[in-house]
Amino acid sequence: MAENDSWEPKIIGFLCNWCSYTGADLAGTSRLQYPHNIRVIKVMCSGRVNPQFILKAFQEGADGVLVSGCHPGDCHYIKGNYHARRKLTLLHDLMDYMGIDPGRFQVSWVSASEGHKFAEVVTRFTEQVKALGPQTKFTGGEA
Amino acid sequence: MPDASAKEAQVRDIARRWLASGEVRYVIGYAAGRGNVARAAFVRRAGDADRLIWNPTCVNNLTLFLREEMLRKLAKGEKPDPRPIGIVVKPCDSKTVVELVKEHIVDPARVRVIGLTCEGVCDPKKLVGTEVGPHAVTADTIADKCTVCRLHNPLMADEVVGDEVPETVEDDYSDVAEIEAMSPEERWAYWERQLSRCVRCYGCREVCPLCYCAECVFDREKPYRWNERTVQLPENLWYHAVRAMHLAGRCIDCGECERVCPMDIPIRKLNRYLEKKAKERYGVEAGRSAEDAPTFGSCDVDDPEEFIW
Repeated sequence: MAENDSWEPKIIGFLCNWCSYTGADLAGTSRLQYPHNIRVIKVMCSGRVNPQFILKAFQEGADGVLVSGCHPGDCHYIKGNYHARRKLTLLHDLMDYMGIDPGRFQVSWVSASEGHKFAEVVTRFTEQVKALGPQTKFTGGEA
Repeated sequence: MPDASAKEAQVRDIARRWLASGEVRYVIGYAAGRGNVARAAFVRRAGDADRLIWNPTCVNNLTLFLREEMLRKLAKGEKPDPRPIGIVVKPCDSKTVVELVKEHIVDPARVRVIGLTCEGVCDPKKLVGTEVGPHAVTADTIADKCTVCRLHNPLMADEVVGDEVPETVEDDYSDVAEIEAMSPEERWAYWERQLSRCVRCYGCREVCPLCYCAECVFDREKPYRWNERTVQLPENLWYHAVRAMHLAGRCIDCGECERVCPMDIPIRKLNRYLEKKAKERYGVEAGRSAEDAPTFGSCDVDDPEEFIW
């Protein structure tokens, strides 16, 4: 779908303050290379991420949305990521059901010590979104 | 239908008794409406109990009005009336009462339920062009929601009207499976066709007994307008996806959204998909028991997470 090779996907990342954001920080301080397509929004917990945020990000022109939080059991707020998991899994299902490329939406668990995993996740996800091309279903036009 | 008129007389008797003894403030029930759908009646005097009806036109879900009463702010100078509200419910509507109790909107002490056993009601949309009046429930007139109904006897009823009906139907979600079987492109084409018709009258939201946010996200202007007012596909898609997510694990499939939709959008297919998924993944079912934990208000360490990296 990508008409020219210069197209780069816009990816919004919702990272939790305690694990994934710190993990992203570690990736930076460790000088790990990962695609610059991700724009990070720090949230206090992955449980804060309302499914609305993800759909709104798509509507505002995001090509992919990544939500990342602490590993199950490691949540700073004890259960925030478990709640996030339920909501976001059903949203992923709904996107699939409505035919809105569920591959554009990804959740991952990245702990504060997993800078390498963060870099891997972003690299893999960027490639996945790149393969899907520009997102037009929520923006209603050519991206 | 002799059965229906016997039940009607019983409903009137119970309402009359409750109102005469003053144990309820008023009774919300069905009254004859114009066309093929009953309307809501608020009976305040025992002498008016004969306005209540029960027949296959009683398709609407009256718990909406119960919820409005529970969330209503008292008028200036109005003294709170501790007496409960009486309400006439079908089994499907009784699931809404359960769900509202679960969500702490309805205090069970403030409601008296007249529960009817039910074997299906007519879909007013299927009766368009026919003679006005109660039609018999047949395979041609029955509402779609009733063909997959798994609950023919009311829950939480203080008084049950009608003999117990055996539960026979097993819901296989075949309408949902039909869409699931399509390829992603076909699914998108299907929803594109359906949702681009939406005129965003918000009828589905207004009639939903479980949509009760003090300020709805679709009405918000400040600090941020989430949804534009245009009726273009992207906005409609956002509206319906968010609405479906808000009802995920809560919708009890009363079918009101689809009944009021002027554009015949299959809204129930969205709700039922999430209902199915919530059941498959988390074993939760809305409106089963007020003791159950809410779907998104609870979690389990072993919840599936196959798509998460």
